[in-house]
Amino acid sequence: MGAVSKKEKLYYLKRALFHPFDGFYEIRFRNKGSVGIAAILLVLYGILQCISYQYTGFIVNEKPLHEMDSISIFISSITILLLLVVSNWTVTTLFNGKGKLKDIFIVVCYSLIPLIVVESIYTFASNFIIEEEAMILSAIRWLGIAWMVFLILGGLCVIHEYSFGLNLVTLVITAVAAVILVFLGVLFFTLMERMISFFSSVLEEFMRRM
Amino acid sequence: MKIKSAILILIILVLAIEPAVILASDGKSYIYDGYIYDYWGDALESPAAFQLECVIDENSFGGMKVQGINDVCTSKDGRIFLVDTLESRIHVMNEDGEMIKSIKVIRDENNKIVLDPITGSQLVLTQPQGVFVHEKQHELYIADTGANRVIVLNSDTYVHKRTIEKPENMSGVSEFKPSKIAVDTSDRIYIVVQSSYEGIIELNEDGTFSRYFGVNSPTVNLIDYFWKSIASDEQKEKMKKNFAPAFNNVALDGEGFIFAVTYDSASQDSVFRLNSQGKNVLREMGNTFVVGDIWSMGSKKENSQFVDVAVTDYGTYAVIDRLKGRIFLYNFDGELLNVFGSIGKLKGEFQIPSAISWLNDKLVVSDSTLKCAYILAPTQFGEAILRANEYYYYGKWDEALGWFEKAVELNANYEIGYTGIGKNYLMKDDYKKAMYYFKLGNAKTYYSQAYNGRRAEVLKENFWIVAVLFVILIGVIVGSEIRYFKKKGGNT
Repeated sequence: MGAVSKKEKLYYLKRALFHPFDGFYEIRFRNKGSVGIAAILLVLYGILQCISYQYTGFIVNEKPLHEMDSISIFISSITILLLLVVSNWTVTTLFNGKGKLKDIFIVVCYSLIPLIVVESIYTFASNFIIEEEAMILSAIRWLGIAWMVFLILGGLCVIHEYSFGLNLVTLVITAVAAVILVFLGVLFFTLMERMISFFSSVLEEFMRRM
Repeated sequence: MKIKSAILILIILVLAIEPAVILASDGKSYIYDGYIYDYWGDALESPAAFQLECVIDENSFGGMKVQGINDVCTSKDGRIFLVDTLESRIHVMNEDGEMIKSIKVIRDENNKIVLDPITGSQLVLTQPQGVFVHEKQHELYIADTGANRVIVLNSDTYVHKRTIEKPENMSGVSEFKPSKIAVDTSDRIYIVVQSSYEGIIELNEDGTFSRYFGVNSPTVNLIDYFWKSIASDEQKEKMKKNFAPAFNNVALDGEGFIFAVTYDSASQDSVFRLNSQGKNVLREMGNTFVVGDIWSMGSKKENSQFVDVAVTDYGTYAVIDRLKGRIFLYNFDGELLNVFGSIGKLKGEFQIPSAISWLNDKLVVSDSTLKCAYILAPTQFGEAILRANEYYYYGKWDEALGWFEKAVELNANYEIGYTGIGKNYLMKDDYKKAMYYFKLGNAKTYYSQAYNGRRAEVLKENFWIVAVLFVILIGVIVGSEIRYFKKKGGNT
């Protein structure tokens, strides 16, 4: 399999958006996907979350702007997606899924495009609406979210070669696995903190007795 | 020489930056700590709206024994009526807290003691719990709880007018044990009986029974609901019945609506504004519902327990929480204006507050344990918010604007103040300024209205640009369609 040109990769990005089953099949089995593009999309998504936090129009923006912390917004929005990718990978390897970690990452990130487009429209247009028109905008936003969910479901089906039912089951287990991952992460960091504080106090004691 | 002048300058500087000590005008008033809730439900510090002006305690009663004050009522001419249930006395004070009269034995015009027509004994107050001044007829209604009757006196001369016993046509199972009382402008008498689940007893002017008024709906527990839905009739009989929570106090507002409060935790609402059908029509347009503190605090996770409510003619009302000793001020829209007061043993703090009443712009608050009543006067900030809401209620925009600006000057975090200013500009179609203030006040709905106006203005001003852009857009669409069809036509 030869090198796939950048132009072709972009073509398959578009293809995956409008024909997800075909597109993701090509990406998975003919190596037409790009981790680079996917990563760019992910970063774009994180930045957009920060932008929409601050610049969504006053009428529909219920977030406390005085508490805004763009770094934590960026990290948390990206971490959730990465957590989904990792926990889905851990689950599907047990369930005979054919997808590799790279494929899952590409599917999830490519599927963000409708959300990115719709969120930016929403953020921009919400500055020029009144309360009565907000419903139309949020309907558009929900369309984008529905599209994204469809892309993720379809894409995961294709790359793992799953039936739709099995796909849903693995997604439910993915959610459970994500919770366990978070738990383990918290546990790890707490233990690390204990250990560091233990060593540092030992060191301090040692220095004082010298 | 240089050193001397340097020291002098230093001294002047030190004196100049010495923090200004804030004292009340008399230098001794107790100033409360106030707060409000902002759009996100965070408690923000705020100047308190009221400060302690005067304490009515045992000294003011001239050595008379006081065991606790359970209700307070004021008349328009500035008299304060304090009810001491255990001593069975009603004290009448003037607005400076000086004693005018103390009522225990009821007398008639000739200063003779009135005799009870049935028993023949003297008519003496027996543990009254409530009192109400009916300005229209110059009558003083006393809920004589211990003797199951209501005694009506002339409110100027304090002579006996009539006694209302339990009406013969009264239905229901409620005991006729009047606890709190209110009389509306059509002379209908509303009587609250503690722990009566049937509602407020409404009597006609002549003392005959009219109806039970106001239904208080209990909250439904989801688990109870489930078990009840599968229980048999016999099981249902044995289950604990969910009675409607009782009202605990009543008041009357300027439009003739009955305000009622309850501190029963099973009740859905805690403050009621009852229309003539007994429905709750309280407006709750503010950031919070009219529930007092929005977070349940403390070890018991209890919410505010309102014992009494006092309403001004312009719809601003104060409710008092007996659990934390806080007084909540709401305007007629149900927006929380200010919260102040606390439980404690210092002067100005409460133990178990029992009643609250407006004395023109001042508040009279009584405490059943401390055996005293406080007269609270509005601070500068309180004055500003009271006047602003009064003028706003009566539709005097310009006056209201000035007072709202004053309130914002004294408290830059005061969202209601900014919204108030914005509302005034919105009334004058000054959309740009209105938007600025609504944004500061976090008033989304009003901002939307102002923005609607502003957007129409901009579109109108730039009509030609918009029209040209629109025509170009249409042209581009039509042109591309034509090209597309030409291409298609060429191919076939």
